Amino acid sequence: MGKVPATLRSAVSNTLFKNQSSLVPLESPSQRPRHFPKKTPSQLPGKISHTQKTDFPETNNKSPILFKSPNLSDAKKLFNSFLATTRGPLNLRFHNSLLQSYAAISNVNDSISLLRHMIKTHPSFSPDRSTYHILLAQSCKAPDSTLASTHQALNLMLTNGFNPDKVTTDIAVRSLCSAGRIDHAVELVQELSRKHHAVPDTYTYNCLVKNLCKHRALSTVYNFIDEMRTTFDVKPDLVTYTILIDNVCNRKNLREAMWLVEVLAKDGFKPDCFVYNTIMKGHCMVSKGSEAIAVYKKMKENGVEPDLVTYNTLIFGLSKSRRVKEATKYLNIMKEMGHIPDTVTYTSLMNGLCREGDAMGALALLEEMEARGCSPNSCTYNTLLYGLCKSKLLDKGIELYGLMKEGGVELETACYSTFVRTLCREGRIAEAYEVFDYAVESKSLTTVAAYTTLESTLKSLKKAREQGKAI
Amino acid sequence: MLPQRMKKSITDNPKLANLIDLVNLSSPLREFVGQSRISHIGCFMRVWSYIKDNNLQDPTDKNLVNCDEKLRSILLGKPQVELAELPALVKLHFPRNQSNCAVPIMVLFFS
Repeated sequence: MGKVPATLRSAVSNTLFKNQSSLVPLESPSQRPRHFPKKTPSQLPGKISHTQKTDFPETNNKSPILFKSPNLSDAKKLFNSFLATTRGPLNLRFHNSLLQSYAAISNVNDSISLLRHMIKTHPSFSPDRSTYHILLAQSCKAPDSTLASTHQALNLMLTNGFNPDKVTTDIAVRSLCSAGRIDHAVELVQELSRKHHAVPDTYTYNCLVKNLCKHRALSTVYNFIDEMRTTFDVKPDLVTYTILIDNVCNRKNLREAMWLVEVLAKDGFKPDCFVYNTIMKGHCMVSKGSEAIAVYKKMKENGVEPDLVTYNTLIFGLSKSRRVKEATKYLNIMKEMGHIPDTVTYTSLMNGLCREGDAMGALALLEEMEARGCSPNSCTYNTLLYGLCKSKLLDKGIELYGLMKEGGVELETACYSTFVRTLCREGRIAEAYEVFDYAVESKSLTTVAAYTTLESTLKSLKKAREQGKAI
Repeated sequence: MLPQRMKKSITDNPKLANLIDLVNLSSPLREFVGQSRISHIGCFMRVWSYIKDNNLQDPTDKNLVNCDEKLRSILLGKPQVELAELPALVKLHFPRNQSNCAVPIMVLFFS
């Protein structure tokens, strides 16, 4: 993680939310990764991912790159030599993977030409829907300013007797979104729905909503949802609402989140664990401990069983708003409920204890967690080292640093600065230099960042000495 | 040395850019580092690793450095320096741009 968190606080929240998505596979083991290999994993609970439609030929993506140059005549030559030398059956799969491989490096027109060439030289090959989807995906991924080449690919598909279906829509939307062409994606979805009745399914729809949330204003998202509802009768589902709530929570707009909860209830949905977790996360990010507890109680009232993420979020939020005692209480409750506290749980609690200046308590917690077979991660160590330095327990800190160094744990920026500052104040300059060396060596920080901290620390130390304030 | 993106964010900040810009060196420093141009931070790293490689830290007090002849030539001829003042001493070889003095002159002019 190293680079992302500017402060220790955000570091803790980072692991917390990372953990949320890492929990997903446990809850829905039937999930299969989608056919877009580079798609970023969804931040939210896994229902957004897909289980269907695996017929898309991008499964061939792992085959070695056959075409070295985007030149069309080279590609044709290569294809001919394949025809001449390959003994195995030349089926659709073979042609598709060749086309796929060429599409990865060429432009749409050349790919279409190659396809024509393939059909001409090898008449028994009849392209199917997936063949045209390759061209479609390629045209959508290109950084074009219009949808012209996409229309070209679609028309080719139509003239060969394949009507766009929801798979077509899905491929187009995902390709366009991955290329950052959100407005085009919206345009194309509406066009495909209108002209070809290829209405997006909930997965495609939610994918587009998520991308809209990320890159466009909330009003744009609402407009899109309204339009899809009124024109094509595509309605938002619970996952859509979860995406929206998560998005407004991340923008710290809790009022909007509460309104969305009302709307989803009006639409006949019952909030599930993911919705509650998302709202709770929103409260925690703005350090509203009481509201987080209120969400927890509401969950219980409505018969939704809190899961590990719920407890982790709650403990994180309470620790953050300096209510460690209550956080500890919930740690015990979660144990009673049969959840096993993990690294995130303990790290959040340690963070809370350190905030209260009880670094020794945090250290004791480290022992407890290790005794329970839960291994600390880099965030845990950084939290602890930071806390120990702040509580003026430098010797313990140096001991912990030794452990970190042994295990090759990276130092985070805030932790590094605090540690170096504390060492210098105690007159242990040589050790501060050693920490500087380790930070650079382990690539925790850039040399420039590490040096700037060291330099400014020493500078202010000198000033303090001149004023007779330090050793 | 650095990833491109990071390098950009550093060069955008003039204060940090001073650290990584290559500078033409004075002759004692040129002799010490063995090249005619080096960055501020590169020079610091070179001096610090020279101290470590030659065990120049005082055995009784690690915070002190006993300079050998070579080191003395670039650290104001001091026989012993504190580790704490090392960055400041290295910095002397990398003066800020002359633009610093522009403001006081203007002030003098108008007052």
